[in-house]
Amino acid sequence: MTEPLLSIRDLRVTFATDGGVARAVDGVSLDLAAGEILGLVGESGCGKSVTAMSVLRLLRPPARIEPGSEIWLDGRDLLALPERAMRSIRGRRIAMVFQEPMTALNPVLTIGHQIAEVVRVHERASRGAARARAVAALEQVGVPDPDLRARQYPHQLSGGTRQRVLLAMALVLHPAVLIADEPTTALDVTVQAELLALLADLQRRLGMAVLLITHDLGVVAELASRVAVMYAGQLVEEAPVQELFARARHPYTQGLLEAAPRLAPRDGPHGSGGRHGGGAGRLRVIPGTVPPATAWPSGCRFHDRCSAAWDRCEREAPPSHAVDASHRARCHLAAEPERRAALPVALTGSVR
Amino acid sequence: MTVTRPSERGGAVWVPVGPRDAAPPERERRRPAYGPWRALWRRYRRDQGAVVGLAVLATIAAIIIAAPLLAAYPPDVPLDIIALKSQPPSWLHPLGTDPVSRDVLSRVLYGGRVSLAIAVLAALTAATVGTLYGAIAGYAGGAVDAIMMRVTDACLSIPRVLLLLTVAALWGRLSIGGLVLVLGFTGWFGVSRIVRGEVLALRDREWAIAARALGAGATRTLLRHILPNVASPIIVAIALGIGNVILLEAGLSFFGVGVQPPQASWGTIMQDGADQVRALWWLTVFPGLAIVTTVMAVHAVADGLRRAADPRSGYGARP
Repeated sequence: MTEPLLSIRDLRVTFATDGGVARAVDGVSLDLAAGEILGLVGESGCGKSVTAMSVLRLLRPPARIEPGSEIWLDGRDLLALPERAMRSIRGRRIAMVFQEPMTALNPVLTIGHQIAEVVRVHERASRGAARARAVAALEQVGVPDPDLRARQYPHQLSGGTRQRVLLAMALVLHPAVLIADEPTTALDVTVQAELLALLADLQRRLGMAVLLITHDLGVVAELASRVAVMYAGQLVEEAPVQELFARARHPYTQGLLEAAPRLAPRDGPHGSGGRHGGGAGRLRVIPGTVPPATAWPSGCRFHDRCSAAWDRCEREAPPSHAVDASHRARCHLAAEPERRAALPVALTGSVR
Repeated sequence: MTVTRPSERGGAVWVPVGPRDAAPPERERRRPAYGPWRALWRRYRRDQGAVVGLAVLATIAAIIIAAPLLAAYPPDVPLDIIALKSQPPSWLHPLGTDPVSRDVLSRVLYGGRVSLAIAVLAALTAATVGTLYGAIAGYAGGAVDAIMMRVTDACLSIPRVLLLLTVAALWGRLSIGGLVLVLGFTGWFGVSRIVRGEVLALRDREWAIAARALGAGATRTLLRHILPNVASPIIVAIALGIGNVILLEAGLSFFGVGVQPPQASWGTIMQDGADQVRALWWLTVFPGLAIVTTVMAVHAVADGLRRAADPRSGYGARP
């Protein structure tokens, strides 16, 4: 991989809560290369969104980014920048698209105003010029009638159009990095497909790097070139997308792949994920839920939900093993091939 | 489904991708700008009482603005201190004359200008101060918020009339501008509490975070993104404030610490007849009626606005 554009180093974020200190993100290191789409997946509560918010430094107390964390962009550590300098990065170098198109737009301002506002925050642009840029941005994201739309209010638009508007807001200044936090979760599948195609297209044209946060592995398979899997505040597996779908090493990743519903019953489109799927039978699920961030389990944080776990997993936290040059997994199994070979085919539990 | 087409717009060389040919839903296609103000008016219009109140208020405002055209006599000049002293209503003086032979109708018309101007300016002052104070407290949160709100609590616990009388007594003779300031700066506590609560609830909305995510600073987020969402409660507060200040000004003027004679205001006219309310009833009844009518209309409007702006009744609902 070439020199990364955005580099997250040992990011630690804590929340002071009544129940103790929640270590929501606990030592995450991620590199994002120019022009790549990196999928960041995991269940709710894994720290995906907190990671994203940290990159833009949008977290408010009681959230706290611990000293020692670094986020590098353009040769500068964003976490060390004064707020003023950080402001000029938000929206101009790094932009973010939020999850809920219904709530991420200000209900009392027109669409055009909200997009133009982004321009006016960062550049000395006249009202008219900013407005023209807003209309052009709307056209760029495929909103029909951009002139009319620019004069409308969010409640007059459909969910899909609103998500396009959010994309226009994020892209109007051609950022180098786009963080998309579950950008299509709130949309129905056809609109979702259109938007994903649009996102891929824009990414190619603008040469952006995209950090795509999602819990939907289908979305990742379609768009991402590399995938990072997060569990309990840590990265548990990181690999190119083909590799991950074909040879997932972490039982959590395997569980996620099996828990993804597929329309094709047997040989699913995602390769070997279907191997343990049991045909058209029941969907496998990972038993249990993500533990609370105030009390991560000892040893491997996944051991209490992992069917392949043995006593070592409970005692000893696994390091992130390199499976090969581009594939890493935080699992003891990655270092013990004999034990791995002896495992039964189904690594994870299932609903019976 | 996906249509690509060269861009006709200059600048970028992007090609739009998307369902350009797919017909958007009907409601997207029409209604160029069905914004919050139009939604508010649409809802306001349904409330008969509020519409009548607004009509009455508009009429009063028109009459008062046209006072120089309507008033037959100068408001502050005695006409004939011997022949026209304390005359009851007549054809020439429909609302009578006062003990120094001034025409009461002319004084009520001109006095309305003073009373309403003070009310509007003081209510706006109060709303501005209260909005800024409450917005800062709500956005800052934490200890700043706690301290700022304890200060307003303390101020709210002092009866306003007492506060006004004290200030007026310390200040001596108040000019109109001074009166506006005193009334304005004793009336913002309530507004600040309302705004603080709204801002506190709105600052962590996704669109507010999105504004920051795209580079807006705290001031910009607060003033340009959050406060527009608080417009309706502020407007309702202004309307109620106007009603309150009309009453307060009349009261203060009646007690001689408000508008100073010979300047006419609805309160000072009543004060001119205060020692002979029975004999000179027209000096009390007519400005009194003006006050009651205006305040009732103002309250009807404020009430209508509040109902129209109530989010629970479905803001932005289409007929």
